Amino acid sequence: MKNLIFVLLYIWITSVSYSQQNDSIYYRLDQIVIQANKRLSKTSKAYKLLKLNDSVIVNNLESFTSLLRFNSPIYFREFGQGGTSSPSFRGTSASNTAVIWNGININSINNGQTSFNSLTVGLYDELDVRSGGGSIEFGSGAIGGTIHLNDVLDFLEKNKLKHLINTTFSSFSTINTLYKVKYSSSNYALNFGVSYNRSENNYPFVNSEFRNTNGAYENYLIDFSNGYKLTDNFLLQFYTTYYHGDRLFSGELPNPTAANDKYIDINQRNLLSLRYSLKNLKIETRLAYLYDEYCFFDDKESDVFSFGRSDRFFSDATIDYTFKKINATLTSNTRWERVKGETDRIEYQFRTEVSQSFIFDHKIAYNFSYDIKIREDYNSDFNVPLSYAVGLKWKPFRSFFIRANNSKNYRVPTFNDLFWPGQGNPNLIPETSHQGELGIGFSTKNLFIDLAYFIIDAKNRIVWTPNGDPNRPGVWTPINLSKSLNQGIELSANIKYNAFKNFKTNLLLNYVYVNAKNTDREELLPFVPKHIANVNFSVSRSRWSLFYQQLFNDKIFTTESNSPNFIVDSFFVSNIGINYKLLQNKKQNLGIGIKVNNLLNTDYEIVQNRPMPGVNYNLNINYKF
Amino acid sequence: MKRINLIFNALMLSCIIFLSSCNDDDQLPRGDYENGILIAGEGSGAGTGSISFVADDLRSGEDRIFNTVNGEDLGTFLQSVAFDDNQAYIIVDNQNTITVVNRFTFEKLGEITIGLQVPRFMVVVDNKGYVTNWGSGSFGNNVDDDFIAVVDLTTLQVTSTINVEVGPEQIVYQNGRLFVSHKGGYGSNNKITVIDTSDDSIERVIEVKDKPDEMAFTSSGDLVVLVGGNESWTGNETLGSIMVINTNTLNVESELDFASGVHPGLMYLDDNMIYYTIGNDVFSMSANSNSIPTTSLLTATDGFLYGMAVRNSQLYALNVSFTDISEMIVFDLNTNTQIQTIDAPLGAAKIYFN
Repeated sequence: MKNLIFVLLYIWITSVSYSQQNDSIYYRLDQIVIQANKRLSKTSKAYKLLKLNDSVIVNNLESFTSLLRFNSPIYFREFGQGGTSSPSFRGTSASNTAVIWNGININSINNGQTSFNSLTVGLYDELDVRSGGGSIEFGSGAIGGTIHLNDVLDFLEKNKLKHLINTTFSSFSTINTLYKVKYSSSNYALNFGVSYNRSENNYPFVNSEFRNTNGAYENYLIDFSNGYKLTDNFLLQFYTTYYHGDRLFSGELPNPTAANDKYIDINQRNLLSLRYSLKNLKIETRLAYLYDEYCFFDDKESDVFSFGRSDRFFSDATIDYTFKKINATLTSNTRWERVKGETDRIEYQFRTEVSQSFIFDHKIAYNFSYDIKIREDYNSDFNVPLSYAVGLKWKPFRSFFIRANNSKNYRVPTFNDLFWPGQGNPNLIPETSHQGELGIGFSTKNLFIDLAYFIIDAKNRIVWTPNGDPNRPGVWTPINLSKSLNQGIELSANIKYNAFKNFKTNLLLNYVYVNAKNTDREELLPFVPKHIANVNFSVSRSRWSLFYQQLFNDKIFTTESNSPNFIVDSFFVSNIGINYKLLQNKKQNLGIGIKVNNLLNTDYEIVQNRPMPGVNYNLNINYKF
Repeated sequence: MKRINLIFNALMLSCIIFLSSCNDDDQLPRGDYENGILIAGEGSGAGTGSISFVADDLRSGEDRIFNTVNGEDLGTFLQSVAFDDNQAYIIVDNQNTITVVNRFTFEKLGEITIGLQVPRFMVVVDNKGYVTNWGSGSFGNNVDDDFIAVVDLTTLQVTSTINVEVGPEQIVYQNGRLFVSHKGGYGSNNKITVIDTSDDSIERVIEVKDKPDEMAFTSSGDLVVLVGGNESWTGNETLGSIMVINTNTLNVESELDFASGVHPGLMYLDDNMIYYTIGNDVFSMSANSNSIPTTSLLTATDGFLYGMAVRNSQLYALNVSFTDISEMIVFDLNTNTQIQTIDAPLGAAKIYFN
């Protein structure tokens, strides 16, 4: 790291003379860089932050998993299409990926993950994907990267009421539909949305007599948020959301008809925020209550089920103080959280978490800024190590940028890890990871490239293993066992080009190479593809647009010794679609789209013995008024 | 080089002629997988259940033989394999499937996919298979719908079911009677059910200690049952025991209890000697002994001992891995020393001599 800083300083010093000429370009750039919600953008200067906007989302409305699989550097382990799906960044795991709803980490206290089946595309206004650790801002599990779901409340001088209706009909009796309304005025803003999704999801397996039996799902989501400007200085916001999902878990080969599991999950999230701003000072206090519940039926016909639920009470206060003279901001966040969790196997357990963090963000020159972040946690179950992060971003000349960050992040053991009867291990300590990243890139209006080298050094990783505890022979217990080292590169690019007169082309691509190893072994970590890549290419002309999506997923080994007998093969899969705007004017916008998924009818699996569907179709109708 | 090959071939040929001429009564080998050891692996999230073959001389072996022969996987979790003269019945509980193969060639002959719910073990009596099934439930949550499926082995159809107490596990046959150990499925139970195969009726339910599991017959025909006892984490810890049931009177004839907190796991009976395990340690005692041994025979592995069998003074122990290839460790029981280590399938759990 020391060397790195020297190198960067050297480059900076030698090129200062070039960079000073480009003021105007620089300012124009900053407009583009502000993508996500302000605070996230502000603390992510040294990171790569991808925003998935409407034009991308509309091409993958069928599921959250496929949206991110085709448009972000995240790898998903999806147990058959529409099945359980868990994300991971940079060769880490689902429990090292934090999902953030309006700034709050919503990973489950019971298993440490967020299930991607329970998320609906399209109701959130912003979807942001940040690669790299973020425990300072987002706490436990923000190791590989974070996924942000935001509702955006807009205040506009002129009152505005906008509606959106979006319905997709797909193969296998699938319907995804949503309605969203946004109201904006100078002092009041409101968002309301409902979505409903259902599918028989009984797709036939390519090259097999079987179907994806017992794969049906049905869910709905209601989302409401509103904000009121009490005065020019006071802003009151309230967000609430309710989700109900009812799904079956499909079977695997050779006999998928054996499957008869059912799963119901419910979550409810509420957030109240009060913001005060005056000159150099901003204060935000938040209060949140989050409720999660699941019921798992081993036999869908039976009344017997296992369950888990958790209640979280959260409050925090954030103070930003801006030192205008030196162009710096000091942010303090004080958080208190009380978690109550239980399952049918674990009696109510409580956890109290308190944390204090400071972020100092300083723009030394118009083209150079850095930040220093530090966080101390108190947790009633164990000691959480101090987390820190330092980052910098420098634009030595023109549109070129260099960014670097180094951070220490953590994941705390879940209630299952600690308290599972007979198996939990109360002596677990949090997993920690040190990571570093060096990125270079180029950003103009029509070209964005970000190429990063990353390294993640994780220790005390929690692994469930038989005989984990010598006093409990033969019993599977979690222990702080493994150390791993992930190194690789991550590339994201977006190229816009206007060909001829009226053809607009847009190319988006993501590529990740990761070499992830247990530090005491030569072999690769199981379940981590070495290469993943996705490409989106679209051409549009007036009301027409045509797009093509391609995904490459490298093979994965599923055993620790990388046995050639236990491999899930690599695959290419591609989709093609066409959209046409039937109506396009200031007041109304009506679009219709057709998409062919898995164009070449490729027989592929992401999880062994769970084939994904062959060629299938979507018909989308999108109406804004 | 060619000449050497020629000589070698000639030698080979003469050997075969010699062998076949001297063994006129012997039948030809019935398949590639005769005269060897079958190791069944449960599989796990890392991959399918599978069966490996190791030749009797331990010099050669082959993994995933079902896949090699048939080009398909067995699925998870491969619970056990039952045999009759020519066929093997591979039971995969999570798939509710019994795959029928020729036991010597491993060629797939058919499968039973209807009428099973979490099948565990099977025994063949004449032309019928009796399969223990846990029915519905989930861990810690038993539902009282457990049954024995009776399979017609000609049609491979489940023709009837016998309702039994919760958690039927292993099943053995002797002189017109089936003995079923009720370990308890998703929880704990303490019964041995005796079924009369003349009309498939329940003749007796014998109460034993908690978690009866492995069963075997002694040379005098008595049934030895290894009873694990409830572990401490259940909140209701009970004693483990070796219990002997007189198969004439159907009464518990003797019980040798283990010390409190000691829970035996595996048992194998060979040459009227009982071999059982506590953790990774193997103990042995005569089937007629009145006391349990105080010192172990050997420590099989420092990993996780998950399967065991004994034959011809050799003990075969499975050091299981659920995230990787497992290993089979072979001990010479004359010296109690390790003689060989052989790769075993993912989640290796059971050993069968073929």
